[in-house]
Amino acid sequence: MEQLAPREPKLAIAFGSSWFDQQALLDGMRSVLGALPMAGGSTAGEITPEGPRSHSCAVLLLASEEAACSIGAGESAQSHPHEAGQQAAYAAAREFPSQQRTAFLLFGDGLVSGSTDMIRGLQEGLGTSFLMAGGLTGDDLRFSRTYQYANGRAMSGGISGLLLGGGLKVGVGLEHGFAPISRPHRITRARANVLFELDRLPASSVYEEYFGADLTAQMRQERFTRQAVAFPLGMQQPDGVSGWLLRNVVAFEPDGSLRCNADVPEGASLQLMMSSPQSAMEAAVVAARQAVTSLNRVGCAIVFASAARRVLLGSQNAALEIARIREALGSSVPLIGGYTYGECATTAAATMADRTPVHTESVLVVAFGK
Amino acid sequence: MIAIYVVLLISVLTTVVLMAGVGGGLQLACGGVLLGSLAYLTMRVIGAEHERQELAKLRATYAQLDQQAKWIIRADLELHHAQEELDRRLASLMSLHQLGRQLQVSLKPEEVFQKFDAAIVTNFGFSVGLFGVCPTMGAVAWQSLVGVTPEAAERLRVHVTASGLLKQLLADPTPRLWQAGGGLNAAQRALLDLLGSSSAVVASILPHSGPAGCFILCRPGVRVSTSKADEELVKILAHQLSTAVENSALYEHAWSEQQTLERKVQERTRELAEANAALTRMNKAKSDFVSAVSHELRTPLAAIKGYASLLNSGQFGTLAQPQAERLAKIEKHADLLTQFITNLLDIARIEAGRTTMERRAIPVQEFLATIQELVQPQLLAKRLQLAIDRDGVTELLGDAQHLQRVLVNLLSNAVKYTPESGRISVGLRRDGASVVVTVSDSGCGIPAEDLPKLFQEFYRANDPVNQQIRGTGLGLALVKRIVEAHRGTITVASQRGQGTTFTVMLPAAAEPPAP
Repeated sequence: MEQLAPREPKLAIAFGSSWFDQQALLDGMRSVLGALPMAGGSTAGEITPEGPRSHSCAVLLLASEEAACSIGAGESAQSHPHEAGQQAAYAAAREFPSQQRTAFLLFGDGLVSGSTDMIRGLQEGLGTSFLMAGGLTGDDLRFSRTYQYANGRAMSGGISGLLLGGGLKVGVGLEHGFAPISRPHRITRARANVLFELDRLPASSVYEEYFGADLTAQMRQERFTRQAVAFPLGMQQPDGVSGWLLRNVVAFEPDGSLRCNADVPEGASLQLMMSSPQSAMEAAVVAARQAVTSLNRVGCAIVFASAARRVLLGSQNAALEIARIREALGSSVPLIGGYTYGECATTAAATMADRTPVHTESVLVVAFGK
Repeated sequence: MIAIYVVLLISVLTTVVLMAGVGGGLQLACGGVLLGSLAYLTMRVIGAEHERQELAKLRATYAQLDQQAKWIIRADLELHHAQEELDRRLASLMSLHQLGRQLQVSLKPEEVFQKFDAAIVTNFGFSVGLFGVCPTMGAVAWQSLVGVTPEAAERLRVHVTASGLLKQLLADPTPRLWQAGGGLNAAQRALLDLLGSSSAVVASILPHSGPAGCFILCRPGVRVSTSKADEELVKILAHQLSTAVENSALYEHAWSEQQTLERKVQERTRELAEANAALTRMNKAKSDFVSAVSHELRTPLAAIKGYASLLNSGQFGTLAQPQAERLAKIEKHADLLTQFITNLLDIARIEAGRTTMERRAIPVQEFLATIQELVQPQLLAKRLQLAIDRDGVTELLGDAQHLQRVLVNLLSNAVKYTPESGRISVGLRRDGASVVVTVSDSGCGIPAEDLPKLFQEFYRANDPVNQQIRGTGLGLALVKRIVEAHRGTITVASQRGQGTTFTVMLPAAAEPPAP
C-alpha cells in the first residue's frame, strides 16, 4: 500500500506459505487491505523481486482505472472437480460488470486429481474466448493440504480465481526447457491421472528400465524427489498442438501404476524428458518474453513456477532463474509469484484447440499491461 | 511391388507363348523378355535384402541410443542424488550455523527451545519438529511446534509421558532413529503412528546445568535417511542445544548472582553511609565536647597561671628558693597545658570546619627568616646546624600563621630527636602545580611500624628515645590537619638511625574553594 500510494488499489493477488495459519494470514491482510477483491493461494515457496523465499507471503496490488474484476470460488473439487470449476466460473461471471473479459487468473488445489476436469468446468462456465492462466496451489512439498484464497477466506480442496477485464491488458508465456531422451512408449492403459500400462507393461517398469531397480525402489518411498522431477514424462500435445506436455510422477502405487500430477490420456505417446539448468533458465526467459510480446508497457507480473523446478534447479539456480525473468521483463517491473504444483495457461496454440492444459515443471509468466 | 507383378505377368505370358509354339521370331523375343524379367526379379530380391539389413542396422543403432539414454539417465540420477545430498547437508550446516548464532543470545534456557521455526526444521530435511523442556524426568512442555497442531502435540506429550518413553529418552544421551519395522517396541511404534511417519529422529538435551529437554524430528511420507553424516548432524544439533541451555542457565545464574551482589552492595553502601553519618555526628560531638572542655579548662588555667605569676612577682612577699622553683614549674606546666589545649582547640576547629585558611601569597624569604628566628634558641641549645635551600621558590600560597605552625612544629620535632651537633635541613622546590617543602634531620629515625600511626592524635612512638622527650602527641596531628586544610599532603620517610624526612606538598596556585 505504501509503494502504491497515492493510487488506490483495484485488486490484490496473494501467495502465502502453507506453514502459516491460513485464516490468520488472510485476516492480517484484510486488516490492511479492507474489502479489496483478493485471490491467491498457498505455495511451495514464494517468489519476490529479490528471489525465491520460504515461509513468507507476497502480495501484489494492482491499480488501474480501466480494470474490472470479480472473484469466483468453487469447493469440493476433490470429489466434484468439474462442478467446482463451474461454481467458480458462475460466481465470477455473476459479479463481473458488463465489460469485456480479458483473462481469468486461477488458483486450483494442487492435490486434486481431476485438475483438468476442474479447468474444463471453468471454461464451460466462462467460455474459451479469452485467456485463462494460473497455477495449482502447493503446500511446501508436504502434499497434505493446500489452500486457495478468495476475498479473505482460505479454503482447501477448491478453486478460486480473478476474472479480469475492462481495459486491462494481459499477456502470458509458458515454457519448460525439457527435451525427450528416451524412445517413445505408448500409453496402453490410463485413467485420469493414473498411468497403468505403457506398451502393455506395468507403467513403473519403464522407470525401472531406465532408472534401475535400486533408484526406483528409493523413489517409491519418497514423493517428489529430485530424481523424479529431473526426468518427467513428456507427451506430444494432442489435437495437433505443437510442444510437449510434461507430467510428474508424484507416487508409485503398489500395483505398478504411476500417479501423475495431471491427466494422462490413453493412446498418447510418452517419452522420458530431460533438461539442464541452462536450458531450463533459457525457457524461463522465453516465457517472460512471450508474456510481454503483446503488451506496450508492462505494469507488473506474476510468476507461477513449478515447485519441481525449484527442487531441480536448487536454491542458487532458482534464484538465478527469477533474476533472469526480471531482467527479461525489466528490472523496474513489480513481480511476485509462487511455486506451484501445476501451471495452466491458454497459449496461442492451445487456444485453437479450445483447451487449457495443465503443465508441470514449467514457468508461467502472466504480465499485466499499463 | 506393382513392378514385380508386371514382371511376373510378362513371364507367365512369355511362358504361355513359348509353350504354344507360336512363330520362331516371337519365341526368341519371348525368351529375351523372360530372361530380362528374371534378372529384374533377382535385382529386386537383392535390393530387398539390403534394405532389411539397413533396417536391422537402424534398429540396432536405435536400441544402442536408447541404451545410452539409460546410461545417461542413471549417471545423471547419481549426480542429482549426490547434489541433493550436498544441498541438504549444506542447508543443514548453514542452519546449524545460524541457529548457533541465534542461540548465543538466548538469555533463558526456555528461550533456547523457542528458537526453532519451520525454516530450521525444513533445512534439516524434516517437516515436523517438536522441541520441549523437561522440568522433571517424567514431564515435558513443548516450546516449539513445527508442522504439528497443538492438539496432536498434546496427544504426543501424553503418550511419551504415560508410556515411559520420555524417561527412556532422557536416560540416553545419543540421538536415535526409530524406523517402523526396525525392532521398535509398542510405545515407539505408537509414537510413529501418532506422528503419521514411518521414521523419526528422537534426541535428548542433557546440559550439565539448566533444565533437560528433548526433541522429535520426522518427515511424514518420507523414510528419513540413516547416513552417518545425518546422525552426526543431529548429534551436533543436540550438543549445540545442550551447550546453549547450559550457557543460558549459567548466564541466568550469573545474572541472578550479580543482582544479589548488587543488592548487597547497595545495602552495604547504605549501611556504610549511615555509619559514616553516625561517625561524623560522633566526631562532631567529640570536637564540640573537646572544644567545650578546652574552653572550660582555659579559664581556670589562666587563673592558675595568673596567680602563679603574681606569687612569682613577689607582691605577697619574697619567696624562698624552693618555693620559687616549684612556682616556676607550675608556670611551665601551665604553659604546656595551655599549648596542649590550644592545639586541641585548633584541631577541633579545623575538623569542624570552623577555621578558615587564608590563601595568600607568602614571601618565602621572610617566612623562613621568622621561623628560623623562632627555633634558633633550640638550635643553639643543642648546637645543631640548620641548612635552608629555597631552590628559587619565592612564594608560598596559604595561611602564613598556620603554615608557620606547621614548619615550627616539624622543626621542633627535628630538634627534639636530633642529637647534639646534628644537622637539620629545610628544602623547597617547585613540582608542577605544587610546592614541595621538606624538613629532614639526621636524628634517630622512627621505627617503620610507627610510621603509619604517626599523624594520629595522641599517638607517640613507644621507644626509649621517645620516653625521654616530652610531648603531647598532638603536634603532628595538628600539622596534618593544617596541611590538608590547604589541600596539601604530608608524608614521612624514615629509617632507624638514618634520620627522618617530612615532605609537605602544597598547591602552588589558587584553586576554586571546596564545595
